[in-house]
Amino acid sequence: MTKARLKSLWVLHYDCGSCNGCDIEILAALTPKFDVERFGIVNIGDPKQADVLLVTGPANHRNQRVLRNLYDQMPKPKMVIAVGTCACTGGVFHNCPNVLGGIDKVIPVDVYVPGCAARPEQIIDGVVLAMEKLAGKAPQGEE
Amino acid sequence: MNTETLVAVNIGLPIVSALAAFLFNHRKAREGIVSVTALTLIASSLLLFLNGGMELSPGHSYEMMVVALDFVLLFYFLYQGFKALNWQVVVLSLGQLVPAAYFEFVLDAPAIEAVLVIDRLSILMTLIINVVGSMVLVYALGYMAEHESHQVGRGRQNLFFFYLVLLLGAMNGLVYSNSLYWLYFFWEVTTLCCYELIRYEGTEEAIENGVRALWMGLVGGVAMIAAMYLANYGYGTIAIDELLAAIPSRYLYLAFALMAIAAFTKSAQLPFQSWLIGAMVAPTPVSALLHSSTMVNAGVYLILRIAPAIQGTYLTYGIAFIGIFSFMVTAIIALSQKLSKKILAYSTIGNLGLIIFCAAMNTPLSYSAATILLLFHSMSKGLLFMCAGVIENRLHTRQIEDWKGLIGRLPVTAAITMVGMVSMFLPLFGVLLGKWAAIGITATAPLFLSIVMIAMMVIGSSATTLFWAKWLGHFAITPMSGAEPAEEDLPAAYKISLYSILGLDIAASLGSGLVLNKVVAPIVSLNYGEVWDTGILVLSSQVGAFMILPLWGALAAVFIVGGLLYRSKGGVVKPPYMSGENVEGEPEAFRSTADGVVKYQIAGMFFDPEITEARWVPYSTLAGVFLNMMLLALVIL
Amino acid sequence: MVDTMNLDYILAMLYVLAAPLMGGLMVGLDRKITARMQGRVGPPLLQPFYDVVKLWGKEPFISSRMQPILATGYLVFIFTGLTLLALGGDLLHILFTLTLADVCLIVSAYNSESPYSNLGGRRELLAMLSYEPIMVLTAMSIQIVTGSFLVSGIFRYGTPLLLVMPAAFVAQILVLVIDMKKSPYDVSGSGHAHQELVRGVYTEFSGYTMALVELGHWTKTVFILSLISLFWAHNLLFGAVLALALWFAAILADNVYPRLNWKSMLKTTWLTGFTLILANFVVLIVLEVI
Repeated sequence: MTKARLKSLWVLHYDCGSCNGCDIEILAALTPKFDVERFGIVNIGDPKQADVLLVTGPANHRNQRVLRNLYDQMPKPKMVIAVGTCACTGGVFHNCPNVLGGIDKVIPVDVYVPGCAARPEQIIDGVVLAMEKLAGKAPQGEE
Repeated sequence: MNTETLVAVNIGLPIVSALAAFLFNHRKAREGIVSVTALTLIASSLLLFLNGGMELSPGHSYEMMVVALDFVLLFYFLYQGFKALNWQVVVLSLGQLVPAAYFEFVLDAPAIEAVLVIDRLSILMTLIINVVGSMVLVYALGYMAEHESHQVGRGRQNLFFFYLVLLLGAMNGLVYSNSLYWLYFFWEVTTLCCYELIRYEGTEEAIENGVRALWMGLVGGVAMIAAMYLANYGYGTIAIDELLAAIPSRYLYLAFALMAIAAFTKSAQLPFQSWLIGAMVAPTPVSALLHSSTMVNAGVYLILRIAPAIQGTYLTYGIAFIGIFSFMVTAIIALSQKLSKKILAYSTIGNLGLIIFCAAMNTPLSYSAATILLLFHSMSKGLLFMCAGVIENRLHTRQIEDWKGLIGRLPVTAAITMVGMVSMFLPLFGVLLGKWAAIGITATAPLFLSIVMIAMMVIGSSATTLFWAKWLGHFAITPMSGAEPAEEDLPAAYKISLYSILGLDIAASLGSGLVLNKVVAPIVSLNYGEVWDTGILVLSSQVGAFMILPLWGALAAVFIVGGLLYRSKGGVVKPPYMSGENVEGEPEAFRSTADGVVKYQIAGMFFDPEITEARWVPYSTLAGVFLNMMLLALVIL
Repeated sequence: MVDTMNLDYILAMLYVLAAPLMGGLMVGLDRKITARMQGRVGPPLLQPFYDVVKLWGKEPFISSRMQPILATGYLVFIFTGLTLLALGGDLLHILFTLTLADVCLIVSAYNSESPYSNLGGRRELLAMLSYEPIMVLTAMSIQIVTGSFLVSGIFRYGTPLLLVMPAAFVAQILVLVIDMKKSPYDVSGSGHAHQELVRGVYTEFSGYTMALVELGHWTKTVFILSLISLFWAHNLLFGAVLALALWFAAILADNVYPRLNWKSMLKTTWLTGFTLILANFVVLIVLEVI
C-alpha cells in the first residue's frame, strides 16, 4: 500500500486567487519537458479521487469557503501543497483587507513551496516531499 | 373440476360479478365481489391449465343469445355515434350492422360443431387474463378509492368496475371462440369496454379519445365481418380450426389479411396507434388492464392463431413487416416523451409489434419468442402501469422530470418500479429472453427483406434500451440530503397486486426453462415441429444459448460481494462535486454570483425537436396506412 | 452447447482471472505509448496497478448506499460476460450482459445527484447507444454466417470471420475507441490526464468504488479485444495480433483527433456501422455465401 501511495499521486489543482504565474509553472510540470506523469502524478480534476491538493494564490474571504469545501471532499490520506509565496504566506498581498493570508489560515498545509513564481523543479521537489510524507517516511520539516 | 365448468366460470363469472358490482354501488360490497371474483378466476385458470384443452358446443340458446347481444351492441354503438356526432362511428356501425344482419338472417349462417375450442394457446391466454387481470382488478380497488377522493365524489365507480370486470369475461370468450362470429362478438364487447372505460372521466378529452378508440375498434369489426363473408363464400364455414386447415386460396388469404388488420386495430399497430396513446387519459387501472396486459393481447392472439396457416407466404412477411416497423417507430418516438404513461404506451405498442413480428415470421423459434414475449410483457407492463398509477396518485404529476428522488419519497414503490423497468429491457427477465430470440430469427426472412428487418430490429432494440435506461437513471436520482427514506405504507390493494405480479415475473424469469418446456413448447408443437428441449440452467436453441440462471447467480454475487464490501469498508455519504461551491444543508444548490444560492437543474434528454411526436406521428401514420394497403394488395394481386 | 471438457474449462477460467491483470498491463502500455507519442517518458508499465491499490486504501466516500452495489454490479457483470465468452457462449446474450453492466454504471452516475455525474451518465448512455448497434449487428452477422450466436460456432466455422465479414471488423475500431474512452469519442469521461465534465461518468466515484470501476473497465477492454480476436478464431494468436493492431490504432487516433461531440459520435457510428455491415450482407448474398 505504501509503495502504491508513493507511486501513484493524483493531484487536484486549485487556483485560490493567484495571478496564474504559479499555475502556469504547475502545468509546465505536466508537459514533456518535465513530465511528472512518469512519477504517476496525474492532474485529476475531481477532489474525490485526488490525493494532493495543489493550491496557488492567497486565501481570501470568498475563496476560503471553496478551499475548505474542496479539502473536505478529498478522502484521506491527503496532502496539501502550497505553491508559491502567495499561498504560503500571502506574498505581496498579505496585508490587503480582503486577504486572509496564506492558505494555512484555512486548511492544514503539509508542504510549502515558496517562489514567485515557483519553478517547476521546485514544485516537483515539493510533490516528492509530499509523497514521502504521505508514506510516512519524510521528516516533518518544510522546504 | 371439469373443463366445461371452468370455461363457464371464466366467461360467465365476470359477467355475473360485473352486474353485481354495478348493482351494489357500495365500497365494501365492491371489494368483496372483486376479491372473490379475482380469487376464483385465478384458481380457475390454474385448474384449466392442469386439465388441458377440449372442444365445446354450448348449445343453440347461447348462440341465439350471442346474436341478440351482438345486435344490441351494434345499435348501442350507432347510438353513441349519433350522440357524439362522429360520422366514423356511425358509418362503421352501420357497416357492421347491415352485413351482420344479412349474414345471420338472410345468408343462413352455417352451423359449427365446436363453437368453443380450448387449446394450449387459449389456456395460456386465460392464465394471463385471469391472473394478471385479477391483480389489476384488486389494484383498481385501491386506486379508484384514492382517485375518487381527489375528484368530486361522483360515485360512478359501479359503472367503472362493471366494464372492467366484464372485460375479463369477454377476453376469455374471445380466446375460446372457434366460430368467427363468436370471436367477432367478444371482440366488439372488448371494444365496448374500452370505449366506456376511456371516456369514464367524462371530460371532453376523455370522450374524444374514447370515440377515437371506438371508431378504430369498429374498423376492426368491419374487417372481421368482411373476413367472415369471405370465409363463408370460399369455404362455407366460419369455424376457425377448419379455416386454418383449409386448402389456401386467395379468399382465405384475404380473410386472414383482414383479420390481421383487425388485429392491428386492436393492438394499436401503425397506423392505428393513436387511440392507444390517447387512451392514457383514462384512470390507470384501465391502462394497466386494457392497454398493456390484456385487451391489446387480443390482437396479438389473433395473429398467433392465424400465423401457422400462412407459413411461407408473402402475407406473413407483410404482417411481420408492419409489426417490426411499428416496433422501430414507437421505440424512437418514445425517446422524446416526457409523460410516464405515454412512454409506457409507446413501449407497449412496440412490444406488441415485436410479438406480431415474431409470430408472423413463422418459424418454431419465432413463434416461441412471440409467446414468451406475450407472457412476460403482460406481467412487466401491467406492473409498470400499476406502479405509475401509484406514483401519479401520490405526486399528482405524470411528468417524469418531476419524478425525481422517488427512492427517498416513495421507497417501496420506487424499488418495485425500478425492478419493473429492469424487467423490460435487461437480461435476467423474460422480456429480454423474448427479444433475444426475436433477434435470432430476424434473418430468416427472404434475404433482401431480412436486411431491412435487421436494420429495423437493431434500431428499435437500441432505442428501447436507451429510453428505458434513461428513465431508470432518472428514477435513481437520489437527493443528497442524507435523510433516511420516508416510511411508505402501501394500502393492501396495492401491496397484493404489485407484489404478486412482481413475484410472478421474477419466478417465471427464474424458471423460464420450465415455462418454455411446460407452457410454450406445447403451444408451438401444435403447429410446428419440436422447437427446443431446453434445460433449466441454459436455454439452448438452434441459434444459441441464453443462460438465465447463471445471470441470476451473478446478481446474487453482486449483492453478496457488494454488501460485504460496503460492510467492511463502509462509506461516508458525501455531497456531490460542484466545483467547491456546495451549500451547507442544501444538496441541490450551489453558490453563484454574489454568493447567491442557486438550485441547479438537470433536464432529461429528450431529443427535441428531432424526434417529437409532432414530427414523426403524421409520417408514421401515413407509412402505416401505406403498409396496410400494401398488405391487402399483396393478397389481392 | 457449452464445451465442458475440463481442460478448456480450466483454460477459460484462467483467462478470465487473468483478464484484469492483462487489462491493467494494457492500460499501462497504452499510457506509455501515448507518452512516447507525445515526446514524454510516461509512467511505468505497472502504474495502473499502483493506482488501483492506492484507490483501495483511500478513505471511503460514497454518494449513496446504492453506489458500492452498483459499482460491484458493473465489475461482476463484465466478468460474467467475459466468462461466458471464454466458455464459448451465446454472443448476443453476452452483449446484453454487458449492457446490464453498463446500465449499472450509468444508474450509479445518475444516482449521485451531481450535475457532472448526471451529464456524464447521459453521455455514457449515448456512447452505449453508439456502439451497441455495431456489436449487435456483428453478432447477427456471426449468426447468419455461422448459423448460431455461439462463440463455439465461430471456431467450428471453416473460414476466418475477417475474410467473410471484413466490414464488421473495421467497424470494431469505433467500438474500441468509444469503450477505451479515446478521442474523438471520449465524451463521457476520459482516461487519465484528460478531463471531460471533470471526470464525467466517474465523477462521484472515489476510493474502493473507483477501484472497482477501474478494474471493470480493464476487463471490458479485454473483453472487446477478445471479441475482435475471434475474427481469426483459427489462430487465436493471429487474432490477438489483429486486436492489438486495432488497439494501437485507437491510441493513435486518440493522439491525433480532438474530442468531438456526441451528435457526431452517434452519426458516425450509426452511419458507418449500419452501412458497412449491411453492405457486407448484400455482398455475401450476392456471392451466395449465405
